[in-house]
Amino acid sequence: MAANSGNKIRNAKLVLLGDVGAGKSSLVLRFVKGQFVEFQESTIGAAFFSQTLAVNDETVKFEIWDTAGQERYHSLAPMYYRGAAAAIVVYDISNQASFTRAKKWVQELQAQGNQNTVVALAGNKADLVETRQVQIEEAKTYAQENGLFFMETSAKTATNVNDIFYEIAKRLLQGQAAQNPQAGMILSQRPNERVVSASSCCS
Amino acid sequence: MADASAGGFPDDYPTIDPTSFDVVVCGTGLPESILAAACAAAGKTVLHVDPNPFYGSLYSSVPLPSLPSFLSPGSSAPCPPPSTETSSPASHSAVHLDHRCLYSEVETSGTIPEPSNRFTVDLVGPRVLYCADEAVDLLLRSGGNNHVEFKSVEGGSLLYWDGALYPVPDSKGAIFMDSTLKPGMKTLLFSFFKLVESHIAAEGEGEASGKISEEDLDLPFVEFLKKQRLPPKISAVMLYAIAMADYDQDAADSCEKLLTTRDGIKSIALYLSSIKRFANAEGAFIYPMYGHGELPQAFCRFAAVKGALYVLRMPVTALLLDQEKKRYIGTRLASGQDILCQQLILDPSFKIPSLEIPSDVSDSNSPRKVARGICITSSSIKQGKSSVLVVFPPKSLQEQQAAAVRVLQLSSNVAVCPPGMFMAYLSTPCTDAFLGKQCINKAIEVLFSAQGSDDSEGHLETTSENIENAKPTLIWNCVYVQEITQGTSGTVLSCPMPDENLDYRNILESTKKLFADTYPDEEFLPRNSAPKYADDDSDSAE
Repeated sequence: MAANSGNKIRNAKLVLLGDVGAGKSSLVLRFVKGQFVEFQESTIGAAFFSQTLAVNDETVKFEIWDTAGQERYHSLAPMYYRGAAAAIVVYDISNQASFTRAKKWVQELQAQGNQNTVVALAGNKADLVETRQVQIEEAKTYAQENGLFFMETSAKTATNVNDIFYEIAKRLLQGQAAQNPQAGMILSQRPNERVVSASSCCS
Repeated sequence: MADASAGGFPDDYPTIDPTSFDVVVCGTGLPESILAAACAAAGKTVLHVDPNPFYGSLYSSVPLPSLPSFLSPGSSAPCPPPSTETSSPASHSAVHLDHRCLYSEVETSGTIPEPSNRFTVDLVGPRVLYCADEAVDLLLRSGGNNHVEFKSVEGGSLLYWDGALYPVPDSKGAIFMDSTLKPGMKTLLFSFFKLVESHIAAEGEGEASGKISEEDLDLPFVEFLKKQRLPPKISAVMLYAIAMADYDQDAADSCEKLLTTRDGIKSIALYLSSIKRFANAEGAFIYPMYGHGELPQAFCRFAAVKGALYVLRMPVTALLLDQEKKRYIGTRLASGQDILCQQLILDPSFKIPSLEIPSDVSDSNSPRKVARGICITSSSIKQGKSSVLVVFPPKSLQEQQAAAVRVLQLSSNVAVCPPGMFMAYLSTPCTDAFLGKQCINKAIEVLFSAQGSDDSEGHLETTSENIENAKPTLIWNCVYVQEITQGTSGTVLSCPMPDENLDYRNILESTKKLFADTYPDEEFLPRNSAPKYADDDSDSAE
């Protein structure tokens, strides 16, 4: 999670939040694999993805956690938020209710996460302009008031998808704030191998 | 997927869709969560509900201010009014579910230091994982190791012997460093460990040479240790601090409580392989950051990734009984919704209404109990160390002490309390609640000085550095007694309670057995079932 200075790779846990059907998984799949599936099934089978992103001479390695459906009945575990360096709260611009609930997720995040978490608000399905229910101005104002940064994205057309992750990476590198100094050790799959300590890191 | 009614932040109970599952699991304790994960991995459809707004049930880590509501009977699960026996349209009727009372004799003293909600309390404490035990394997197999981080119990173990605490020489390094051991004793210890290691190695390779004879393996371990000319204190180290025997091996009244050499060596082997398992873990034991409540969450997440449906804040109120077949076929949620299923899995706080209960649940002859204690102090039992284990062998505190008292001290480095504070957990198995609590209180007296006392006797010899350490001052403590119930299988399966042991081995064994009883043809969390990560370059996956 933390990074050493120098020629650095910075590991960052990023969590996705938002209503069922807002397009959380689609955003990730577009970013990680460059794919889009029109009728994506509810998320089954992926615990997290990782993807690296270069910003100038530095690299951010995102560990992207999807909700695994646990958001459906508001049953995400505290573990999900723990140590999250960044979060993307996703809503569907063609669904006002999903925006209302995005605000609840922001509150939840502020309660559960830590203060240094970089939070992005993504108005997804920006390609659905004809059925738009959430105006850009409304979301922008809300984001400003709550210290989030805001973009409208489309996993379908790839609009702003890389951009939102790039912006998060940039902000993570700017705010080099001391992160989770208490990182513990992560158990290695391979016995007798060195346990990777989260605080010391690959370079 | 339609989601009009879905989504979070319900003020009312949501309606669950679909309404029929292979398995419904109630409670998110570790056994329930592992079973949910195993069922989901085996392709079963799973609904996993919990009445609380958090994960973990009887295995959770709770903010200290909410501990009383957990321990005091009645208030733990808000019991909705019994569902009226309006028999449902179908041929089934609802049988009301009651909770049993699991905690008793709760006594607290002192004031919780502020900020009190920064203290997180394990309901399963004291507990650790061996680096090489089944719990670690399960975490690795399920990918749970990606979600939970650990810290070593870096202060090692201490043994209480003749009124003082001694370091436990549990490895070559520890023996070497130990200034309380005479050179001759060090040699004896080295050769004893060598004997054990060559036995393990020989066993691994199926060779006869180097092995301990069958005859010796059948001996009581205490006899074997005498044969190796280990003096009483070192024997006690082996028996109670490394092989983890609980009951007095010199006066064991039943062979059930008497450790055989075979089992003793097996435990020592696990201990030794745990020390070697991870290169930068210090010692044999690790503790999960943020407390043991993280572990069920990791398995629930795994189950969710495999398709299990999660609903917190959802009590179950009744079981659905098929009148004709005399068989439970589902459950009624607090929302009034009926969910049908093939298999029900309940956490141990439920009383399963009799009907098909196997007869071996006769709790009649004194049920097993464990007395537990939780203490807050502002200094460490072992100077300079943040976490440490202590064992008080049987009879070391008082003549009536039937079993070992075990202690685990933790600090803020595992994020369970504010910096500068320490939390110590104690436990001892007992059949008599009064005696159990008495032993816990004695151990607390030995380790800590009471707040406000003038400290005239406030020191305890820690012989490790030949320094007299000031006893930590006790700021707050709580002592209570917990029932231990076993898991039982059946259409309505009941999971085991947190037991008296320091580790999860017995709990996991019985959880595995429950799964095997229920799904004899399915593999329990197959080795390659960890979710695949879309990541190519790296270290994190698989």
